[in-house]
Amino acid sequence: MATAIREFDPKDMAQHPDSYFRREYVWELPVRISHWVNAACLIVLFLTGIYISHPILAPSGEAYKNFVMGRVRQIHFISAMVFMVSFLVRVYWFWMGNNYSRSGFPFVWRPSWWRDLFRQATDYLKLERGHVHLGHNSLGGLVYTLFVVALGWAQMFTGFALYSETNPSGFFGRVFGWVLPFLGGSFQARMWHHTFAWGFVVFAILHVYVILYDSTQYGNGLITSIISGYKFYKRGDLKHDRWVS
Amino acid sequence: MENPPLRPSTYQVLEQHGVDRRSFIKFCTAMAAALGLDATMVPQIVEALENKPRIPVIWLHGLECTCCSESFIRSSHPIAQDIILNMISLDYDDTLQAAAGFQVEDIRKRIMKEYPGEYLLAVEGNAPTKDGGVYCTVGGETFLSILEETAEKAKAIIAWGSCASNGCVQAAKPNPTGAKPIHALLPHKTIINVPGCPPIAEVMTGVLTYILTFGQLPELDRIGRPKMFYGQRLHDKCYRRPFFDAGQFVEAWDDEGARKGWCLYKMGCRGPSTYNSCSTFKWNNGVSWPIGSGHGCIGCAENNFWDNGPFYQRLSGIPVPGIDSTPDEVGATLAGAAVIGVGAHFVSSVVRRFGQKPAQPTPDSGDKGRGDV
Repeated sequence: MATAIREFDPKDMAQHPDSYFRREYVWELPVRISHWVNAACLIVLFLTGIYISHPILAPSGEAYKNFVMGRVRQIHFISAMVFMVSFLVRVYWFWMGNNYSRSGFPFVWRPSWWRDLFRQATDYLKLERGHVHLGHNSLGGLVYTLFVVALGWAQMFTGFALYSETNPSGFFGRVFGWVLPFLGGSFQARMWHHTFAWGFVVFAILHVYVILYDSTQYGNGLITSIISGYKFYKRGDLKHDRWVS
Repeated sequence: MENPPLRPSTYQVLEQHGVDRRSFIKFCTAMAAALGLDATMVPQIVEALENKPRIPVIWLHGLECTCCSESFIRSSHPIAQDIILNMISLDYDDTLQAAAGFQVEDIRKRIMKEYPGEYLLAVEGNAPTKDGGVYCTVGGETFLSILEETAEKAKAIIAWGSCASNGCVQAAKPNPTGAKPIHALLPHKTIINVPGCPPIAEVMTGVLTYILTFGQLPELDRIGRPKMFYGQRLHDKCYRRPFFDAGQFVEAWDDEGARKGWCLYKMGCRGPSTYNSCSTFKWNNGVSWPIGSGHGCIGCAENNFWDNGPFYQRLSGIPVPGIDSTPDEVGATLAGAAVIGVGAHFVSSVVRRFGQKPAQPTPDSGDKGRGDV
């Protein structure tokens, strides 16, 4: 279909924005809140976690006057609880939200998911602008599923198992205590918890870069969308399976 | 004159050995405290030790160093040498008994025949499984077959020490003899794991006292350890814990913190991941214990402690073949690779765009919504 090419007229765009960009409400409030709470928690969890394993900044004076490690652990545990709630809200919203809340998730039995994964990966590598997605594309969905969902579960299970060690017969011990012998003991569980934490660092690097790249490449308002909830597209942009929108 | 009973109780045997009543009651009280029992339970222990016939025990030695026996016979309670050795009817223990050879094996067979379902099987050490178990043979039979034979009709099985309960050094990499802990060899049996290299003497006697007094096994945790002795980490009762919470750590063996007795966490102390009673009972009659003498815990009561990296390092390497790095090294390498990857992508996208005119938005005429083409 032929589109008449006209000179760009900023005034016209200001007066008729809908004929230039269309916007769609993509990220509902629980998704946006969960995103920022997770981001804040993961930063705090990683930094406090690094301190717990490599305590520097030794305070001077008598032990009774200081509570540095105790306080850092307390912050770590509180952040973990907040993260868990935020994480579970997002998992709940996977089912209850709009279609975008499920977009990109590796529904591996759908050929369309695999097609989109291949297409998006090659588009990024060839530095080309391919299909515009309003929700997550397959590649994004795969990365979020591995680095946030799977790692999130792994960190919660190992973390709460380690947390339960101060009171093995308590609630957390009964629910998560099996993780310790499963991983070969408390020491091994600690080692894995520490290793997995680095996954969030790798994720943060990839995530921030791809968001910046995708947003400039596609002009889809990706960065602001996680604040406002709206993403932008143009006529002709969308031709997709609704599951990988 | 009254004939001596056929199967005397513990107290009757102790009397014969000249232990006075006062020492006996003191031992019972100490045991009640060790088991975490109320003072009102002391009479129950006294009664059990006075009246119940001693449990016949077969004490097997597999691949091990005998440190469990050493710990057990050196139990430092005032009359422990007497009480402990006489508390059970230690009918078969090839290390301690005077008899040797076929005589000894006859005794084992006789106990199994005379007290089926009544005798206690105490296993010190574990069994090699490679090449048909030939790397540990006793009296011409493999230890594996002796263990399986003896376990069949045992009332209960106690796995003494880290060898029997976790595998210990002979099961550490590369485990040339295929040594396996007892619970892996007898998967369908209830086994009390009493780990430690060696276990604390008071813990060993405590377990026996409990079984004798109540006629049942103590409450066990997920991996078969008695909760009363292995329910908590050293860390949670460590006298250096305030320094941990304060954030004051020993950084080197001769620094100011070491002199002040600060926490040994950064020196690789395994206290935060080791379940045992060392910080409660201590060792050698409560004289001291590793952390008390300024050395970190090496986690000898924990599974796989030989392979958990250097004793003086907080975290071990990743136990994945081919990777010999700590979690931080692996994580930082992956993060660095991610930075290089996105950096390369960024540079190539800038180069690609260089000199290109930025795309201008163009209006469209349609007013259909999402999904049109």
